[in-house]
Amino acid sequence: MVAGLSDEMTMESVEAFRTRTRAWMASALPSVEDPPLDSHALQRLLFDNRFAGIAFPREYGGAGLTLEHQKAFFDCAADLLRQVPAGYDHLVSVGMLGPTILEHGSHEAKLRFLPALLRGDDVWIQLLSEPRGGSDMAGATTRLTRDGHVYVLNGAKMWSTGAHVADYGLCLCRSDWDVPKHRGLSTVAVPLRGTPGLTIERIRAASGEAGDFCQEFFDDVVLPTENLIGEEGTGWAVAQTLLLHERNAAGSIGYGHLGPRLSGEDPTASDGLLGPSALLAALRHRRTNGAVATKLANAYIESVVGALTSARIMAGLRVGTHRGGWGSVSKLQASVAKHECIRTSLAALGAEGVIWDGADVRLDNAGTVWLGSRGGTLAGGSNEMQRNIVSERLLGLPREPSLDRDVPFNQVLRGLPAFE
Amino acid sequence: MNVELSQEQEAFRNTTRRFLEARVPLLVVRQLYESHDGFERSWWREAAELGWTSLFGPEVGGGGISPIPTRDAVIVAEEMGRMVAPGPFLPVSVVAAALLWEGTATQRADLLPALASGDSIASWALAEPGDVWDPASFMTRAVLDGDIMVLTGTKAYVEAATTSDHFLVTARTDDGLTQALVAANADGVTVTPGRSIDMTRRFGLVTFDGTRVPTSAVLGTVAGAGPAVERQVQLAIALQCAELVGVAQRTLEFTLEYGSSRHAFGRPIVSFQALKHRIADMTVWLEGSKAVTDALAQAIDDEDPESLHLARIAKAYVGEHCPDVVDDCVQITGGIGVTWEHDIHLYNRRATLDRALYGTPEDHKEQVITWLRG
Repeated sequence: MVAGLSDEMTMESVEAFRTRTRAWMASALPSVEDPPLDSHALQRLLFDNRFAGIAFPREYGGAGLTLEHQKAFFDCAADLLRQVPAGYDHLVSVGMLGPTILEHGSHEAKLRFLPALLRGDDVWIQLLSEPRGGSDMAGATTRLTRDGHVYVLNGAKMWSTGAHVADYGLCLCRSDWDVPKHRGLSTVAVPLRGTPGLTIERIRAASGEAGDFCQEFFDDVVLPTENLIGEEGTGWAVAQTLLLHERNAAGSIGYGHLGPRLSGEDPTASDGLLGPSALLAALRHRRTNGAVATKLANAYIESVVGALTSARIMAGLRVGTHRGGWGSVSKLQASVAKHECIRTSLAALGAEGVIWDGADVRLDNAGTVWLGSRGGTLAGGSNEMQRNIVSERLLGLPREPSLDRDVPFNQVLRGLPAFE
Repeated sequence: MNVELSQEQEAFRNTTRRFLEARVPLLVVRQLYESHDGFERSWWREAAELGWTSLFGPEVGGGGISPIPTRDAVIVAEEMGRMVAPGPFLPVSVVAAALLWEGTATQRADLLPALASGDSIASWALAEPGDVWDPASFMTRAVLDGDIMVLTGTKAYVEAATTSDHFLVTARTDDGLTQALVAANADGVTVTPGRSIDMTRRFGLVTFDGTRVPTSAVLGTVAGAGPAVERQVQLAIALQCAELVGVAQRTLEFTLEYGSSRHAFGRPIVSFQALKHRIADMTVWLEGSKAVTDALAQAIDDEDPESLHLARIAKAYVGEHCPDVVDDCVQITGGIGVTWEHDIHLYNRRATLDRALYGTPEDHKEQVITWLRG
């Protein structure tokens, strides 16, 4: 039995939990200055000490406490500068897929999937976007067909981050083509390792690099019916739950957090090659004309205001002055600012940003980063989708008219994939 | 403005808003356009009773002043922006703060109670003709003659110049800046009224022609006022940014109401994506403006050395984006938006005025560049 957790019906107070957590962290969790542990090892460490899935029920491997306790845990880690699982992979698996399975999965599915997920043994990802498009997510055309006692999956997903290293993907697919698009969707758990009929390819980015983005092809992939998460036809609700948890995690009020990377991995991620401090160096060490200096100042001012904006929205989500889609305001601000920052680096560096010494291809130059810079204004919902969310869901402006909303999906006009 | 307002601050905001809505609705603001002073002193005394003028002192009856006066003051400034309200809140606040920060016990006792009650009005004579806001370029001189300080020069863009009873004058001494409190009716002080594009805010030139004040009127030390002047500018910018936030927020609100009821091509005009996406961008700018203004107000209260830097960033960002919000709302409003009849020009006036005073966003961006260059 772990200290402080008994079978008594009374729940540990947040303050008692905080005290216990601080004591445990101080002795058991590596500091951010120690050599970094990977997310899997950290997750396992938390699980073994009942700090994984703090707000998940104990029967599914969690600690049976609340999101307030979970937040206290993250706060303690930030305060004590301890490594905790962080970053996009953790956010998606523990912060988004875990709670989605908890909300929509059957008791059997939760028993089967959640403990391994919380232990870090199984890493889950989302399989949402398709080659035919990403913004119109409810228009998914990956086909799920019932065949006796099993499901058969056919189609393709794209832009799935980390599929090449994950264990399960939650796949949004169409199980009924005779009803309007939002009502014919289902979500199903797809094992990603060694599954017959499944091909996973890493997408080679414009930079030339094979990144984390993957494409998956499903060719008569057979899945047990128990892999359905939610009921047939409720896939859109499941997907909405996923996105809600993404927003909450971004605001550090959910089951996981994107937060500052405390795990010690990739410490330069937020301010690397082309972050504000690199731009600063360019301003100081190079001859810069007035027009470039103004661009640099704009990028710098935007970075300061952006950080303050995120902090304000996080605080607002916590205390309740901000509700719902405010994560989209942060996302939009950050995406625009980051793109502008990279553009500014082209102005600041000139030839130095696109030509280097040595015969080898290099990726760490402004020009190559620029080639992929639109990824940030597309991934996780394009700027245009964020602007729709902000104007429609935050401000309550009328929704975009759509021609396919109440039409049986098999009668909806559909374009071709970007490439086959 | 701050997302985590205390109960006292919430109550303060509510009484401020109710007072403004009841006593100076936009109809009254329009009437005041015709008036010489832009506000009535009796009304200002009522405002003072709400506590607007006592945030920076005086310390009375054990009640003490607010421990976070700047964060309280930006609440008033934001509400004033929402109603494009009249009244010399910014200059009175800056002079009161200067007294609190730099004044002797006697100086405070002489002036703060009268400012707090609204019986007296004080303004800051800082800038000089030709859009000169940088103290390094000031021509106004403060010369010591025995125990008398002699002031000579012309100050411009002095808010509420014709209604002020006192001026806080920032002048050059050979080896630094000197600030002195001067009665408006002192010998050698000439006030020349001016108008601004704002409906109610009046400004003027104040000329000091060998004006003699005792050294007891010097605020802080002779030639040592540089840091105090910087801090006063930061406070002015915080109040100005908060006002701009209020102006832009309110303008966006009524523009959305109007755009929701106005139809074209069988749809409310705000249902067009061409407008929705701009409105989303405005929401981002407004949230950023609120965040940086809050951070500045807190930094001033905390005496955080970052406040100097934050003030420049705040004016560069808020001073650019909030007027842009108002400007684009004029476009969304359409032709009626450029008529006298529609209220949006009241907001555009205030936004455009605030943009210009205490340095333009471009001036402050230039300061940021200088700082970045190291």
